[in-house]
Amino acid sequence: MGRNAAIKRYDATPAGQPLELFDSTRSRRPVIVELLRSPWIVRASEIGRSDGGCATKRVEESVSVEWDAHRQCPLSFTRSDRRYIVDAVIQVWATERRWWDPRRHVSRRFFRVLSQGGVYDLAFDRARGGWLLTGIQD
Amino acid sequence: MGAASGGFVHLHTHSPFSFMDGAASIEGLIARAAELEMPALALTDHQGLSGAIRFYTACKAAGIMPLVGCEVVVETAGVAGGEADLPPEARLVTPASVGFGRASASGFHLTLLARDFEGYRNLCRLLSRTHLRGAEVPSVVHLHDLKTFSGGLIGLSGCGNGEAAQAVAAGHAGRASAAIARLSDCFEPGSFYVELVHTLTVHAPRVISGLVRVADDLGLPVVATNDVHYLRARDHRLHDVLSAAGARMALPGPYDRPNGELWLKPASAMRELFSGIERACDATLEIAARCAGFELPLGEFHFPGADIPAGETPYSVLAKESWRGLEHRYRPMTPEAIRRLQHELALIDQMGFPEYFLVVKEIVDFAKRSGIRCSGRGSAGDSIVSYALGITDADPVRHDLLFERFLNPERRQMPDIDVDFDSARRDEIIDFIYRRFGHEHVAMVATVNTTTARSAVRIAARAFGLPIAEVNSLSRHLPWVSARKIREVLESYPECRDHPLHDPRYTPILEIAEQLDHTPTHLGTHLGGFIITREPVASWMPLQWAAKGTVVSQYDKDDIEVLGLVKMDILGLRTHSAISEAVELARARVGEDAVPEPFDLVPDDPRVYEQVSSADTVGMFQLESSGQRNLSTRLKPSRFEDIIAQISLFRPGPLEAEMIVPFIRRRHGLEPVSVPHEGMRAVLGDTYGVIVYQEQVLLVARAVAGFGLAEADSLRRAMTKGRSREEMERIRGHFLERALARGVDAEVAAEVFRQLEGFAAYGFNKAHAACFAVVSYATAWLRTYYPGEFATAILNNEPMGFYTPRLVVNDARRHGIRILPPHINASEARYTVEEAGTAIRVGLRDVHRMTARLLEEIPRERTVRPFCDLTDFLRRTRAEVSATESLIRIGALDGLGITEADRPPTRDELLALLPEVKAVLAREGSAGDDVLCLAPAPVRPAEDASHVSGWSPARRLSAELELVGLSLTDHPLALATADLIARGVTWARDLRELPDRSRVRVCGVRERAQTPRTRSGKRTCFLTLEDPTGLLDVVVFSDTLARAGDVIVKHRAYLIDGTLQNNCERGLAIVANDIKPYVVRTASGSPVRMRRGVPSGPMGPSLGGAGAPEEESWSEVAIAAEERAGWGEGRT
Repeated sequence: MGRNAAIKRYDATPAGQPLELFDSTRSRRPVIVELLRSPWIVRASEIGRSDGGCATKRVEESVSVEWDAHRQCPLSFTRSDRRYIVDAVIQVWATERRWWDPRRHVSRRFFRVLSQGGVYDLAFDRARGGWLLTGIQD
Repeated sequence: MGAASGGFVHLHTHSPFSFMDGAASIEGLIARAAELEMPALALTDHQGLSGAIRFYTACKAAGIMPLVGCEVVVETAGVAGGEADLPPEARLVTPASVGFGRASASGFHLTLLARDFEGYRNLCRLLSRTHLRGAEVPSVVHLHDLKTFSGGLIGLSGCGNGEAAQAVAAGHAGRASAAIARLSDCFEPGSFYVELVHTLTVHAPRVISGLVRVADDLGLPVVATNDVHYLRARDHRLHDVLSAAGARMALPGPYDRPNGELWLKPASAMRELFSGIERACDATLEIAARCAGFELPLGEFHFPGADIPAGETPYSVLAKESWRGLEHRYRPMTPEAIRRLQHELALIDQMGFPEYFLVVKEIVDFAKRSGIRCSGRGSAGDSIVSYALGITDADPVRHDLLFERFLNPERRQMPDIDVDFDSARRDEIIDFIYRRFGHEHVAMVATVNTTTARSAVRIAARAFGLPIAEVNSLSRHLPWVSARKIREVLESYPECRDHPLHDPRYTPILEIAEQLDHTPTHLGTHLGGFIITREPVASWMPLQWAAKGTVVSQYDKDDIEVLGLVKMDILGLRTHSAISEAVELARARVGEDAVPEPFDLVPDDPRVYEQVSSADTVGMFQLESSGQRNLSTRLKPSRFEDIIAQISLFRPGPLEAEMIVPFIRRRHGLEPVSVPHEGMRAVLGDTYGVIVYQEQVLLVARAVAGFGLAEADSLRRAMTKGRSREEMERIRGHFLERALARGVDAEVAAEVFRQLEGFAAYGFNKAHAACFAVVSYATAWLRTYYPGEFATAILNNEPMGFYTPRLVVNDARRHGIRILPPHINASEARYTVEEAGTAIRVGLRDVHRMTARLLEEIPRERTVRPFCDLTDFLRRTRAEVSATESLIRIGALDGLGITEADRPPTRDELLALLPEVKAVLAREGSAGDDVLCLAPAPVRPAEDASHVSGWSPARRLSAELELVGLSLTDHPLALATADLIARGVTWARDLRELPDRSRVRVCGVRERAQTPRTRSGKRTCFLTLEDPTGLLDVVVFSDTLARAGDVIVKHRAYLIDGTLQNNCERGLAIVANDIKPYVVRTASGSPVRMRRGVPSGPMGPSLGGAGAPEEESWSEVAIAAEERAGWGEGRT
């Protein structure tokens, strides 16, 4: 079925449940992940505001991350003593800036993850060697 | 190679031949691709194919399929007109300029790949058409050209800097669609792909998705690339530095890339990036399969068309011309010459090279017809055909030169005949070549300029944003070594002891600079290399404009040789210009018939050999360097063969193999001539049993092991190049087997092989030396019989030879030739001979701030009447103040005019008068003033009333050195004679009389300092110094160098204590034990200049005699330091 297979495959009108689109979290997750991964959808939180910022909450918190060495992505992260299981990795990107200036050098690999109904940006800081929570999307 | 999933081919890859936008070496890329088991790899450098041939051959050697292409800048396709025609909100950001020199342009990118050889040729034509459209027109590919030349090409829509990708990123999907539709329309159906690059940025998925949608809508395939600019992720820093320095910006440079993901990723990583679009990765394999048919026709030769009359063949014409030439060269014709010519003609015909010889002959014939002096050199001198055709001038029969060393029938390689032409008239030769073969069939050869330690430090320092003064201080005074050796030289070279790069804050610069070792930075133009082709050059290689305004290929000489095309070296030799001019001057003085043609002389004049053997060789071609002068005194040449040997012995190879010592000892009977095999005695008779020439290796192999000459040359080459132990053992076994079969004793055969092995790699080509020796003898003869004319000719053709004009002038003065200062009533623009060849008048063109207009004006006005004073000069020539000031200071107006004191004005008075006269002349005509006599402004009293200038000798000398770079009055150290004698200094001329191993103190001004490689690997410095009486050769061994290396670099004149070496075995030299700086000071205490301080006249260093200014010393700090230390100092 090609792209967006999960969305296309989902039966939006199951019998006996006329009001609920999804019958469970399990059935909802693949569709949400696919929607989140769809580059043609721009979320409201990503739309820039007139002051130059955006609705995404930008943070810079140290977190501990459990790493899946096989899949090369986070399994879970712990924030304020609360463990967040990573349900899906939505996007990965990297930043490497001002490497010639040790005070302003930024070298991070970002993982946008879906966890417990929220979208979080985790970053591994390669220059300093630690995990950070850098954004809370929704 | 089907579209099986799992594999990947990088179709968009940059190498350093993207010039400052690629940090992965071609070898590195190929090795990594092989390691990653990629079946193919593409090279797509910006705007050209400079790396394509070496990439192609290296890929073939590594078993990887090469895909040749490039990334061009293409005109806007998605909208009509340019970006500026659009409303601001619809404009896209134009990418930064890419490409090198006049082939650079800014605009949207498009990736092109050659599917087959026709595609390659079309790519060359397209690039040439784009780059040659106009010297000042940006090199942007036009769409109609793209359509014309797209046959055999596959197009990819471009990286993130492609118009489509930019438009999608900016939210203009419609424009992206229009651009892709228009671009794809330029290509054959199915030959255009939409390029997807996932650079692992936040926005990359959105751009990719947009491009896929456009491609799907238009029914076009997509293909994944990674726009590779470096090999591994960590190398992104190197790339950032290169691109910043290339754009002359500080980091982050023109792109400000968000990350470092443009590396050669493995197939798995690429497929993961494009996990939803597997067909994009599959397409890479599909494209590689479509390009599988691309083969360059290597191993074939493509000669330009020679002028062959109807009914003849190239061979028949060559044979006729050769026999005719032989008749002229040999009177009577000898059986040996006839046999050799027959043999060579047969081989040349068999190898298919007659046309090549005929083309060279055409060019040489034109030169001779036009009276342009020329001479062939190199291994072409081994051929009697070259000799008979008049291309070379050394008799191959007489000098035992072997054709097989030039053309080996066992190895069919393109012959290479180098011819030197009178450099002053080289342009006429070039003009002839263009006229004869056609502008479309001739282009200049490129050279690839790569980084050295200095340039690498400059690139890194500039990228780090350091001020230019700091960049200069970091790069200057680094020796000319490769960048990877910077740390080594900083630690071990004494002259780098205080180098600022020792400062830890420069460590990042140092690290980057080391990694930049040998990186191609730009294309240059070969000094004299021309490609001449039968088909238009642009169908073989891309062409572009060089900075000089000539059309230059994007390939260097090695690439051209691989393609089997003819490259001719039309080299300018200033010695030829000097010889021609000296002959002309001599004939003007003594009569046309009194001076024979120097190249036709019988080389047997004892006076000439006497001068050479007394090391009095300044200006003699190939015989004047300090090493050659030393060798002259040891060798004592007395015949032409000795000159050939002398030229051959002082070369890196023979020096490294220490051939000189046994040669000299045997020549002077200090040790017996011994050879392991009697057959070698005849072969090595001329060189006393020492293997000096490459030709002798062939003869020894033939005499001892019965090798044919071609086979023996193959053996020599095998022994010379890249010998592994196993390979050498194999060669040895073969040689011994052949020798033993001829009944040679096993021990003798082994000893012969040991000698061959030891010398084969170091021997010199005798033909090359013999061709040079003809020119050397001509210069030696002219110097012996017409020293004034010869020195004048040399000065007029500077820069040339081993020494500066300053030394040539000093040498002439030491030989009794008067040096007359420049004068407005006597000097021409160039140097002239006066007083029946016993005086040289310095020309005006080397005087600082002279203008081309003045150089014409002064002699023209003088023909009307001589200048009578400063006012007359200024009024008639309208000379600029700055130039007049230089002329006054150099003494060119000395003795002109009259003051109230009834004497000519001093230079100080003239300088004081100058602004006033200039002001009066400016008012002339408007205010009615006509002031002829002005009272000079008060000036300081004359320092030396006995001289017309009123200046002291020291002041005059300083001005001479500053303004013309010559010491016209005397040698600077002559000013400190009393002090030097008091210090116990021995003059150069007296050294010869002192016994070997005497302890001496000498003083001299540095002329040259060389640190050649030695067998031991230790650094030894050879200093050539000059004192008022002659030249001093000083050897500084590593221990002294470690102590005094920085003194040598930082200063110009030294007091040296050392041991004299004066024997026939080692020659005359001083072995330095201690070196201290020496400064000559005027009575007022200011240092007397030792070097030129300002640029030369309007001709510049290339035409002007004295050239560019030289550093007097490292800095004022150095002089202050020597003052503190109380080092040598002489006051005048």
